[in-house]
Amino acid sequence: MADKHVIVEQLVKTYPGSGAPSVDHVDFDLEKGEMLALLGPSGCGKTTILRMVAGLITPTSGRIRLDGRDMAEIPVHKRNMGMVFQSYALFPHMSVAENVAFGLEMRGVPKAERAARVERALDLVKLRGYGERRITQLSGGQQQRCAIARSLVIEPQLLLLDEPLSNLDAKLRDEMREEIRDIQARTGVTAIFVTHDQDEALSMADRLAVMSAGRIEQIGTPRQIFDRPATEFVANFIGAGNFLTGTVVEPHQANVPGLGMVVFGLDAPLGKDVRLLVRPHRFTLNGKGENAFEGVVRHLVYRGDTLTLDVDVKDRTFLVDLPTHAGTLPERGDRVTLTVARDDVTVIGTAA
Amino acid sequence: MTTSDRKGNRGILLLLLLPGLLALGVSFVAPLLWLLRASFSTSALGGADGSWTLANYADVVLDPFYWRVAGNTLNYGLTVAAFAVVLSYPIALFLARTTSRWRGVLTALAIAPLLTSGVVRTYGWMVILGDQGVINGTLQALSLIQTPIRLSNNFLGATIAMIEILMPYAILAMLSGFGRLNTQLEEAAAMLGANRLKVFWRIILPLSLPGVITAALLVFVLAISGFVTPRLMGGGRVFVLGTEVFQEATVTLNLPLAAALAMLLLVLFSSVIVIYRRALRALEA
Ligand SMILES: Nc1ncnc2c1ncn2[C@@H]1O[C@H](COP(=O)(O)OP(=O)(O)OP(=O)(O)O)[C@@H](O)[C@H]1O
Ligand SMILES: [Mg+2]
Repeated sequence: MADKHVIVEQLVKTYPGSGAPSVDHVDFDLEKGEMLALLGPSGCGKTTILRMVAGLITPTSGRIRLDGRDMAEIPVHKRNMGMVFQSYALFPHMSVAENVAFGLEMRGVPKAERAARVERALDLVKLRGYGERRITQLSGGQQQRCAIARSLVIEPQLLLLDEPLSNLDAKLRDEMREEIRDIQARTGVTAIFVTHDQDEALSMADRLAVMSAGRIEQIGTPRQIFDRPATEFVANFIGAGNFLTGTVVEPHQANVPGLGMVVFGLDAPLGKDVRLLVRPHRFTLNGKGENAFEGVVRHLVYRGDTLTLDVDVKDRTFLVDLPTHAGTLPERGDRVTLTVARDDVTVIGTAA
Repeated sequence: MTTSDRKGNRGILLLLLLPGLLALGVSFVAPLLWLLRASFSTSALGGADGSWTLANYADVVLDPFYWRVAGNTLNYGLTVAAFAVVLSYPIALFLARTTSRWRGVLTALAIAPLLTSGVVRTYGWMVILGDQGVINGTLQALSLIQTPIRLSNNFLGATIAMIEILMPYAILAMLSGFGRLNTQLEEAAAMLGANRLKVFWRIILPLSLPGVITAALLVFVLAISGFVTPRLMGGGRVFVLGTEVFQEATVTLNLPLAAALAMLLLVLFSSVIVIYRRALRALEA
């Protein structure tokens, strides 16, 4: 634990004049070279955490340590962290190269070396030859890459990114995801990445922390978060799901009122009420699973790769995603049997 | 949008501009033209008598006194502008950056002096700076000085009063020109290793320069065209173009000469505005 690169302990922030804390006893840590995504709905405290780590605001309580060093007494300009702001915050009165060189200049790097490092940083983000441009002469994506180059050129111990992709259109966003991931892999920089886009978090981060109302609900790898959500909030926030409440009556079996027995793969204590989760794409149609539910297709939406169905099973409706290449597809009004393997039924709150 | 649409729009635009253009034409352009004509005439009738002459300009150009007055005016404008800008800058910067909920009130307070006329405030300064004024009275009562220090009826007094009178304009002009200031840029600079001083020099100052330049221009123009304050605070010992135009027009009753002097002032204005536009463009490039 003590040799982790970044350690955040019991971090709390209560803004003056607001009753409830915006960040409430948050703990997490990062290995060197790791990328952590902070994910959560608007207003859950992601930016606040990032700004405390950066030193732009003071925590109400709690500790932030970088390489074992307590950051509390270290002012922003001495923390050696890079930050990419949502609005990029590029200096409008400087050229692209001057923006990138700024951090090196503040560190007293000699001019010749500065030029060489700026050149390399611009290469890294594919902005070679744009050094003399004004900031206003760059497209949104180019501005963003300039901001990344500016924060990387100082070789920060930690890179902080606050929704850096939210101002970009969908296509550019996809490209930039790859690019940021690629740059991070090549430079080996440790990074904390704020987003409220689940795809972004799942595809970019080594681990993600899902937040709600100032607290971390769950922290883990994308797989852990997706397949073994700790809370219903997490299950709901990351991907869609079908939720069932039942009582465990036998090992790996729960009685769900109005549906019957459901078999699941994980251990759960007998006699307890549990919440079960089935992801829509884990169902198969008319297959042979342990859990078979008969129902009627009420509604369907064709989405290219997948067909999304609403299937009425007794008095509840299941959301089902089927791959469109899987043989004949059902029509509205068809009677179907949904099956799902026990390992695809998750008990919420069971640690992986 | 089709061409005919755009033509229609232009028609509406012209129509909307018409009242303003008329008002400006009647109250500004026409008198200015009349003044221009008057400066080339021999009589107070503004050329209604059909006379044409360059004598007024010759009088101005050939008289070393008017050269001194022009120099004085320039000196006065620059001094007032420099001090008003330097003194207003911290106030404007504070008002632009504060997140206090008193910000609106404080801004109103800063420009509240505009609610009283410059004449009244000039009299106020006479009370403060006069030989028997607050400052000299206090210093004498404390036996720090024997004879009063000359703080009024001279260039110093006229300058001090004018600086204070024009500061609200400077603050307003700066606030309108601080649009590029942005705390996130300051945070970005700090993250990159800039301490408070460096953040000021490299980020805040350059980004606030357009506001500073606009304020300097405004104060300068208002100062060199000022008449009341230099006249009252100068006690007849401060000669600037404003006081001389007044002198020629109402005391000496040499209206053509006054018109020529006013034209000189106008030329001074225009050249300053040209410089200002160049400076702004250089900043933005
Ligand atoms: N300067 C501030 N003063 C008072 N309250 C604040 C301040 N900044 C943020 N908050 C409050 O703290 C909470 C968390 O804000 P924060 O900006 O960290 O959210 P976020 O997770 O980044 O949201 P978003 O996704 O919308 O950016 C919010 O309820 C917000 O209203
Ligand atoms: Mg935020």
